[in-house]
Amino acid sequence: MFCEKAIELIRELHRMSDGQLPAFNEDGIRQVLEEMKALYEQNQSDVNEAKSEGKSELIPTIKFRHCCLLRNQRCIAAYLYDRLLRIRALRWEYGSVLPTNIRFHMCAEELQMTFFFFLSSIVGMRKTRHNHRTLKPPKSLYIEVRCLKDYGEFEIDDGTIILLKKNSQHFLPRWKCEQLIRQGVLEHIVS
Amino acid sequence: MFITDIRKEFYDVVVNQRVALLVSLDIDALCACKILQALFHCDQVQYTLVPVTGWQDLGTAFLEHKEQFRYFVLINCGANVDLLETLQPEEDSIFFICDTHRPVDVVNVYNDTQVKLMIKQDDDLGVPSYDDIFRDEEEESGDSGNESDGDPEPSGKRRRYEEGAVERRIERQRAKREWEARRREILFDYEQYEYHGTSAAMMIFELAWVLTKDTKDMLWWAVIGLTDQWVHDKITHMKYVTDIATLQRHVSRHNHRNEDEENSLSIDCMRISFEYDLRLALYQHWSLYESICNSSYSSCHFKLWSMHGQKKLQEFLADMGLPLKQVKQKFNSMDMSIKENLREVIEESSNKYGMKDIRIQTFGVHFGFNNRFLASDVVHAAAALLENTEKDESPGDNFIKALDCLSRSNLERLHGGIALAKKKLMAIQQTVASCICTNLILSQGPFLYCYLLEGTPDVKLFSKPMALTLLCKYLLKAFVCSTRNKRCKLLPLIMAAPMDVEKGTVLVLGIPPESDTSDKKNFFGRAFEKAAESTSSRTLHDHFDTSSK
Repeated sequence: MFCEKAIELIRELHRMSDGQLPAFNEDGIRQVLEEMKALYEQNQSDVNEAKSEGKSELIPTIKFRHCCLLRNQRCIAAYLYDRLLRIRALRWEYGSVLPTNIRFHMCAEELQMTFFFFLSSIVGMRKTRHNHRTLKPPKSLYIEVRCLKDYGEFEIDDGTIILLKKNSQHFLPRWKCEQLIRQGVLEHIVS
Repeated sequence: MFITDIRKEFYDVVVNQRVALLVSLDIDALCACKILQALFHCDQVQYTLVPVTGWQDLGTAFLEHKEQFRYFVLINCGANVDLLETLQPEEDSIFFICDTHRPVDVVNVYNDTQVKLMIKQDDDLGVPSYDDIFRDEEEESGDSGNESDGDPEPSGKRRRYEEGAVERRIERQRAKREWEARRREILFDYEQYEYHGTSAAMMIFELAWVLTKDTKDMLWWAVIGLTDQWVHDKITHMKYVTDIATLQRHVSRHNHRNEDEENSLSIDCMRISFEYDLRLALYQHWSLYESICNSSYSSCHFKLWSMHGQKKLQEFLADMGLPLKQVKQKFNSMDMSIKENLREVIEESSNKYGMKDIRIQTFGVHFGFNNRFLASDVVHAAAALLENTEKDESPGDNFIKALDCLSRSNLERLHGGIALAKKKLMAIQQTVASCICTNLILSQGPFLYCYLLEGTPDVKLFSKPMALTLLCKYLLKAFVCSTRNKRCKLLPLIMAAPMDVEKGTVLVLGIPPESDTSDKKNFFGRAFEKAAESTSSRTLHDHFDTSSK
């Protein structure tokens, strides 16, 4: 059936949750474009036939192929736009350097686009000077964390030292813990 | 020293400081810890929570953290041993102890500076008075000083003076010996029996109430702490009923807070209700039949390890008009008509069969459409998680899991705990049945003795103290019901089970004789110490509960 390949592209994106970028499906896009080209050529010949020989039975077929073409166009546009939005969100999260595994998943044009994002975000940051990571204020100053591995001694702002041992729980200032949570040493507990 | 005003002397002191919480591994301590954590979150008190399994662990944890913390809060550990001598802390370390173990060591009671006990002074303590135990040594040195100064006096007077001095000295020494003998006797009487006091969770809940920061969650944890003491047979029935009455006042206060015609609470809010419910473990999450077979009360009364007992159970069910098919399926799927008056029907029939106390006062909670739990259900689940031997995880990991299952947001953990608890109860039932049927309980003169061999099925479960305690109590009850020997019914029971097969260590536990009016006082702590000395065996008196080694 027509347009199936295009739907598959959309489904592929839909399967991956927000924040993840699957590899750029060059094959898929190429197949859809080929299908569109085939449909267009068939339509062209049918239109000529209909005009010259007056075969009005061909008109529904022409209309149908036209709808398929439009649908393919919409699907491809949606696919590319959604990837654009995801890449932009990833740029906000990761800052200036995107991890290599994400870069592999992008095509050449998308990489170029990220460069443009980078430039515009620098301009934006200079204008507003805000930390793009925490747009919402945190609910509390302190959070409860649990230690997942033996880390040793850890110093917090007022100079006191805390011993981070496996399975101990602590109630510490949020900003000091963020780094360790990212590293996987501490786990935030929400009760 | 005892704290009189828990808010001023404890909370206001620590609220601006960093605190180390050292928590022992039992459900009451876990509940107290949860309530205290919730209070600390409210007031943003920075703390560090460390689980401790025994005295050695406590010592290690203290050594690790003593540089960084000045204030230590010990929950369910540390009161029954001279803490300052065991830990050797610096002058400025302060310990707040909230412990149910009694008797409280006299040094801890009379230390004014470093040890603060969060225990009510009228909690049936019977602490000997200060003068009976401690004696100021000044009078001694005063007199001996006089004697040495006697040189420059003339010889006549001196001789008379010396005779008087010698008499006085003999008199003093005799008085001192008498005083020391009386002191030893008083201390022996005070320390020979070990028992438990008011639940730690209830003490900390009272702190929350005084601060008017108590919530329904904290109240529910206090209920679980008290129920843990009852399930593991640590307090007498009278005390349990008294404490239930105290908690019932709090429950009514919370329930009438905002329920009226216009603002009824959403179904997702937590509701605690007083229940006069059946003493069958986990019956709402199991089938009724399984629950009757695996609860110690019903199983011992029917003597379900014998054929005769099984028949009696069938009769009992028939008497109540409950079809076997209904009773053997999951409780939630039983017919509504049967479930409606189930408690009353069972109570009536149990009275005929000699089980007068099949119903017990307790509390239940429900939130959401599906989630109803009795306090004893949660206790069994948390205890099973805390002593989980299925995967080889450290006690610290199990502590974290059990602590998590107490929050309302971790229901899958709680259900996992209930499944483990079912396995544990079934294992206990089978072990008891096999011990009784194969006569593994031997009478050794003044006590009964049972040793679980290494090949016994599920013996790994019983390498943990709480599980072994449950098994021990159940076994003693079953033995008392099944034996005809009148003398044996009044004997205490000692149980031994392999703790670590590779190292060849054995866990030994002793419980007092079974009786209805038992005051739950256990003398095995001192007895084990003496036995270890006299047989010079290598023992590790590590558990906070001195009746298990």
